[in-house]
Order: sequence, then C-alpha cells, then structure tokens
Amino acid sequence: MNNVTENLRKTAAKLLQDQEVKMVIGYGAGSEAGRTQPVFITSPEDAEKLVWNPFCVNGLTKYLSDLKNFDGKIAVVVKGCDSRGIFRLTQDNIIPRDQVVVLGIPCAGQMSYQKLAAKMDVSGQLTDVQEKGDNLEIKTSKGNLTVKKSEILLDKCALCENHNPVIADHLMGDKIDIAPKPEDYEEIKKYEALSVEEKAKFWLSHFERCIRCYACRNTCPGCTCRECVFDAIKPDWVGKELNVSENELFHLTRAMHLAGRCVDCGECDRVCPMDIPIRLLNKKLLKDCKELFEMATPGSSEEGGSVLGQYRLEDPEEFM
Amino acid sequence: MANKSIKKDQVKSLLDKLAQSNQLIAPIQSEGITLFKPVKSGEGVVLDYQNALVPPKDFFFPQSEKMFTYDTTDPSWAITPVDGVPNRVLFGARPCDVKSILLLDKVFDAEFRDDYYLDKRNKTTIVAMSCTDARHTCFCGAFGISPGEAEGADILLTDLGDKYLAEVLTEKGEALVSSCGSLFTDDDGNGPAAKEKAVAPAKEKQMQIGLEGVKEKLDNMFDHPIWDTESLRCIGCGTCTFVCPTCHCFDIVDFNNQSSIGYRYRCADSCQFANFTRAAGGHQPRPSKKERTRQRFMHKLRYFVDRYGDFGCVGCGRCIEKCPVNLDIAQIINKVKEVG
Repeated sequence: MNNVTENLRKTAAKLLQDQEVKMVIGYGAGSEAGRTQPVFITSPEDAEKLVWNPFCVNGLTKYLSDLKNFDGKIAVVVKGCDSRGIFRLTQDNIIPRDQVVVLGIPCAGQMSYQKLAAKMDVSGQLTDVQEKGDNLEIKTSKGNLTVKKSEILLDKCALCENHNPVIADHLMGDKIDIAPKPEDYEEIKKYEALSVEEKAKFWLSHFERCIRCYACRNTCPGCTCRECVFDAIKPDWVGKELNVSENELFHLTRAMHLAGRCVDCGECDRVCPMDIPIRLLNKKLLKDCKELFEMATPGSSEEGGSVLGQYRLEDPEEFM
Repeated sequence: MANKSIKKDQVKSLLDKLAQSNQLIAPIQSEGITLFKPVKSGEGVVLDYQNALVPPKDFFFPQSEKMFTYDTTDPSWAITPVDGVPNRVLFGARPCDVKSILLLDKVFDAEFRDDYYLDKRNKTTIVAMSCTDARHTCFCGAFGISPGEAEGADILLTDLGDKYLAEVLTEKGEALVSSCGSLFTDDDGNGPAAKEKAVAPAKEKQMQIGLEGVKEKLDNMFDHPIWDTESLRCIGCGTCTFVCPTCHCFDIVDFNNQSSIGYRYRCADSCQFANFTRAAGGHQPRPSKKERTRQRFMHKLRYFVDRYGDFGCVGCGRCIEKCPVNLDIAQIINKVKEVG
C-alpha cells in the first residue's frame, strides 16, 4: 500500500470517527485492472475501501452537486485538475465552502484505461502498481506488465497546470515538485487556422457520431442548472431527434454555456463514449476568454466567478 | 445447404457484388473507431475487428427514425408513410449482436407487430462473423451464446486463416450464396473441426460469469440496499443504454417547425434519464438514481426473463467498457450472487 492510500484511509476514518464529516467521496478498487470507481464512505470501518493509484481518473466534485441536500459535511478527494471544480461549485453557489472538506492529492499524471487495455488483458484485478522511474510496474491477477508511463498517460495529463491541488484542507501526500506545463494552445491554433469549411467538416464528422448520452454534461462541475436547457420539454430548445443538426446545436450550446466557467478538467472528453474531442471546444473558449479578459483558468482561486457574468470598466468593447 | 468456404482474397469481390444489388452494411474503421456503416463496396471494410463501438441494432431500430409526415391543412388529415428500406445485407455482425436481434424480435414481433422494425428485419440478410478473440469485457457465454454460433444469422463466417468457413443457416443465406456464383466453394469437410479450434480462444479468454439463481434472487431484491450503494456513483448519463444492443425504449415526438406540415419521429430514450418517467403534472415514479439504476439491471436480468423467457443482455460488454464510473453489469451480477 502506498503512503497516499494509507494517509487517505487514516484521514477519512478520523474525519468520520470525529463526525467532522458524514461522508467521504474517494476512489475504490475498480472491477478491472486499470480502473477505479468512485466510492461513498459513511462509516470509519469502510475507509479501508479507499485507494490511490495512477488510475484515479474520475473527477469527483460533481457529486457534491448531486448531494447538495445531504445532511452533513462531505469530504471529497481531488487531484489538481479537479480541485478547480471545488471553486466552480462554490462560486456558482451550488455548495457552501464550509460544507466541504477537501482531501487534496498531488498528482504527477493519470493513466488511461483504454491505452492500458490495448497493451494487456485488464479483466483481472489490480494487485499492485509501482512507479519505477519512467516506468510503471503493473501487477494484476491476470498477468503483469512493465510499461513506460508516457505510453499510457491520459492525453490531458501531458499538459498540466496544477500537479498540486489549488485547494486542500488536508494534503494526502508530499507536494509534487514538477514544473507546471500550462496549456500553450498550440493545438487550438492549428484548428483556428482552418477555413470555415474545413472546421465545419471536422466538427460535423464528429457531431454526426454523437449519441446524445449527455455524459459530458453530467460529469461537468460547471453544468449545474436546475433544469438543463437540453432537458426542457416546453419549449424544447433542442429536439430529441438524433441528427447532425440537433447534435451540433447541443455541442455548441453546451460549450458556450461553459465559456469563462469551464475549469478545464477534461472530464467531458474522457467520458465521451464516442471519442468526440469535446474538450477542444472548451479550450477554444478558454483561450478566447483568457485573451480578452486576462482571466486565470476558472476555479484556480477562491475569488472570482464567471468573467462573462461580471462587468469591468476595462473589458474590451471591440464590437461597440 | 452443405458448408461452404470462401477464400480471404475473394471477400472484397463478394462485398462488391453484394453492394451492387443490396444496401451493404459493414464494419468500417475511422480514427480508431469501428462502426457499422452503409458502404458502396468492399473497400475499407474491416473484418478482424473485435466489436463495433455501437451495435448494428441501429439498422433495425434506429436511434432516431421518421415515422410519417402530415399536413394539418389537408381536410382528410392524410398522413404520408415513409419509404421502407431496400434489400440489405448486414455483414460481419458478431454472435452477441446477432442474438440481440433475436431478443429485439421478441419485443417488436410479438402481440404488437412493429412495422417499422419488421420492414428492416425482413429485408435484411445477416452474415455473421464468429469471434476468434475476446475483449476484456466480453462475457457472452454467461447467456448461452457461443463465439462460434449465431442462431438468427443467415450465414455464419469463421476465420480459418486463409479462408472463411461459411455455414449457411437459412434459406435467405442459401439465396445469397447462390447469387454469388463461384465465390463460394464447397467446404473440404474439415471446416467444423477447424472452427472449434479457431473460436476456442474467444471462449477461454472471456469473463466466466455464472447466472445460476441470479434471476430468482432478483425476484426478491426490489428493496435491497444494494441499489442505494451501487447507484451513488451513477452520473445519470445514457451511455449504457445507447451502446446496448438490446435496449429498445423509445419516445415519440411530432416536429412541425411552426408550420402545418410536420413529421412524427421516434427516438431511443434512456431509462437512466430523469425525463424518461417524468409524467404530466410533475409526478416522478423513479425520482432518483437508485430507482433508475435498479430499473436497468432489473430489466435486463429479471423483467425480460419474466416477459420473454430470456435474459435481456448478451454479454457484449459495451456498457462495461464505456461506463464513465465503472458501474459494471458483470460486477453487479457477482454482487447479487453474494448478497444474502
């Protein structure tokens, strides 16, 4: 067992024992090697179910929105990227800050279950995983694999602004001393350079595949409307019919609703079953907002909110 | 009809030929994603894929489908039905997906005969493809499905190295073979034994899940706390139901764009969405994730058995692989077996 897992279990058990919180949301063993699953711990004895390993990819902060009427404080495990989701929720007044205890874990990067599955049979249980320099030694009940971390690294982790959480009431491991690699938007610039026709061709070929499962919306800590525009029946702003036109409307509306608010955690991209590069849309908006409003990545600090929901005298007014 | 075989280098000619007189639907790979698509020829068709990202169910029960058009200014209120589909060949469907079509038959070809479904079903010849390998999420064996059998298909192909064994299972299959002249030759008699050997890895490698007693246990588990705990991590998306080859719930909507002329369509709906059961006046019989999660597993493993005498799951593993929070039906089955 690694130190972080040990700290996590001890801290969770103590928080529950002392009745400082009534629930701890963290990661538990997954049904396959290369996966973990979100677990919801309510008794100190069950803190043993908590784990930390390089497959803790899920962002857990959105569950705080689901549980906003929960009777008692909740502790939640966050990595750097999803820690920004905490401030998204507090700034949007979805949860009061004093109702949450943040268990922060410094993170050097998470591994992709899909990429691992392409290299080994992941249907067994993970028994051990050790970092040895650039390699990961993965042991499962159905075989072992030593693999270069870079080969199975989650795409989003190649660029990371916050290896250490932006907020943590309890830090579960030593701070990671890796220089942050903020987004350079090189990829976005490539798409910006395309003609309108090329852009349309690219996006429509992806939107055509969308099955409108709404996983991207449901996992997003910025999507907390009481009634989502896509669920509204009267008026039905977006029809339920599956076609590229409705799908496009869905994707563009979803992205625009997050302009200046998206915390860039990359969960929308990860959860998409159809491998639509959803995050590119959000990144374009992030780039524009940063350029126009000199904005930090949303959720980076407690203060702030939505740049598009605020008025400042120095805001650009190029269109006036 | 006796077993046939077809050389691998003849398959493209076969597909080209089938595409001339039918709408050919076959697996295509693009950007690493395998999907069944209508194709004009054998060009680009992949046959060594493990399973398509979404099942070919869409060609029988499209996720979205126009039912008829209407014009409210027409004094007779006449409706114009949509055209049916042309004759089609679904090529390369895996045994789990073929079985799912038999399960859909139980729903759409029963007391109420669904013309939209049956038009497509009747006009489609299914050429299935045995599995010689299994994905990490495969468990078709649990439902009595074999990687080397495909009841419901018209022809079953099995990869035997330089050729495919072609088992002709129905009259539709015979007609297809006859129409393709010399592309098929008589099997040398070793085909069935070679097939057993070819599909053995798929049988061994897949998850071995037993279903003994699961349905009977679920009969008494409606109020079991397992649904409280397992549903907590669900994020309420529709991924599991939309990638499922047997899910078949749909909604019906009229669309008229503020004009007198409009059309009615139906589209797949998901029991995981809150709107699925929200009634007029706001009543909500499945108010939380608990009831919705329970419904999915109960429908697959209990209600479908009660209604149709078979499980409503074929072990294709798509929902396992794609669920963003690892809500895994195989794990749920094992947990149901463990609880007291």
